[in-house]
Amino acid sequence: MHLQPERVLQILIWGSLVLAAFLGALVVLGAWIQYQQDRLNRRRIERFQAWEQDLARYLFSTEGEPRPFPEVAPEDKRLFQRFLARYHATLAGQEAEALKALYLRLGVLDSLPRRLHHRLATVRAQAAQEVAAFRLEDHLGLVVPLLDDPVPYVAHLAAQALARSGDLRFARPVMDWVLREERYQRERLLRVLEGFGPGLLPWLETHLDSPEADPESWVLFALLAASLRHRESAPRLLQLIHSPSVDIQASALKALAALADPLTYPQIEPLAHHGAWPVRAQAAKALGLVGGPDAIPALIALTSDPVYEVRRNAAQGMADLGHAGTEALTWLAEDPAADRFARDIARERLEWADERGHL
Amino acid sequence: MNRLWPEPTRVLVVEDDQATARIIQARLEMEGLIVFLAANGVDGLDILHREAIDLVTTDLMMPAMNGFRLVQEIRDLPPPKGRVPILLISSNQNEQDMVRCLAAGADDYMTKPISAQVLVERLWRMHQRARSSS
Repeated sequence: MHLQPERVLQILIWGSLVLAAFLGALVVLGAWIQYQQDRLNRRRIERFQAWEQDLARYLFSTEGEPRPFPEVAPEDKRLFQRFLARYHATLAGQEAEALKALYLRLGVLDSLPRRLHHRLATVRAQAAQEVAAFRLEDHLGLVVPLLDDPVPYVAHLAAQALARSGDLRFARPVMDWVLREERYQRERLLRVLEGFGPGLLPWLETHLDSPEADPESWVLFALLAASLRHRESAPRLLQLIHSPSVDIQASALKALAALADPLTYPQIEPLAHHGAWPVRAQAAKALGLVGGPDAIPALIALTSDPVYEVRRNAAQGMADLGHAGTEALTWLAEDPAADRFARDIARERLEWADERGHL
Repeated sequence: MNRLWPEPTRVLVVEDDQATARIIQARLEMEGLIVFLAANGVDGLDILHREAIDLVTTDLMMPAMNGFRLVQEIRDLPPPKGRVPILLISSNQNEQDMVRCLAAGADDYMTKPISAQVLVERLWRMHQRARSSS
């Protein structure tokens, strides 16, 4: 097909005009969206600032005085829910109760079951957070199915809500969720389990399968006993250091180190000669904390371990013992007859402590 | 309980979460205290240098300079600023962190969520202790 040059020119001009109009419309649309967002942000800031002042008056009104809080306009209810949520992790005691009363006044409780099953993950997540934040015990059962939510952070928030209730009826589903999660998230998962409080440890002892059948749960048990410093778990931890699983042994040693009970020292000391280095490394950490200066001979022996982590923990354990430990490290560092590994790690730790002004 | 704070008692609140900072400020101002807000340890230290601060509350996890470092920096200052009572507030319930902070020189430790009433009570006790020891 042959086109006249005038026709080609016409097509080019019209094409450019259409393209320019399209781009112009895009710019206008972008500007309008930006304007709307700015408007919403301004409105949010303005409302939040006003509510902040109202909230302070409401929370800290003198005893006997009525707690005033202005009515929230229906169109601001969602915004107000977000405002209240900012305080849920911050305030406890009377203030937390007063916040809950304010939340209940919003009249959004009726929609909570629907929102917990909403198609939007953000809505489900916020609903789960509300249950946790305002301790809505009656709705905890509705949160359980969210543990299977396809969106990980919704499931995580659901687990948090159930754990923070401290209600051990939910320990089983939360533990099942924890065990489905990736191991690299262990620290985050432990933070969730801590929500149940120390009551979870006796529950785990009675409800878990044997360490051979369910090693990961027992690792979590030991790590939880460590972070909660649960002295009542010590007898079980002393059994766990003889478990066939290295992971369980190392975790139980970590917990015993955290408990720092000198009576457990004789049972911990033999593990300094364990065949698996992760156990020796944890033993090296635990010995000083549990045995105090009496552990120095055992720690000196570990400074010549073939594995660096074990040597480092042993030397650090000695440095943490204060004068007696530092003296032993100095002796090691300066003794030409000492093992080369031991001498090097002793020098390294002394330099490290010196740089930080610990000597 | 009625507490008779000596006038003026100045409190530095170091907290990166504005909502929390302002709610603490409101409660402390209700007690008649003068409150200075800082969003991180660097700003907090700056205020501490400029003002005669009587008490410090600081969050643990903050950008620029965390609460742990702030405690160390304050304790490295010459008295009386280096001896100002410090209350650490953290969302982390890790006991090792608590021990680390207390070892660094913090006078007390609270974990979030906090009760404003308990916070005021602890500050009061810290202040009383500091006065009786000075």
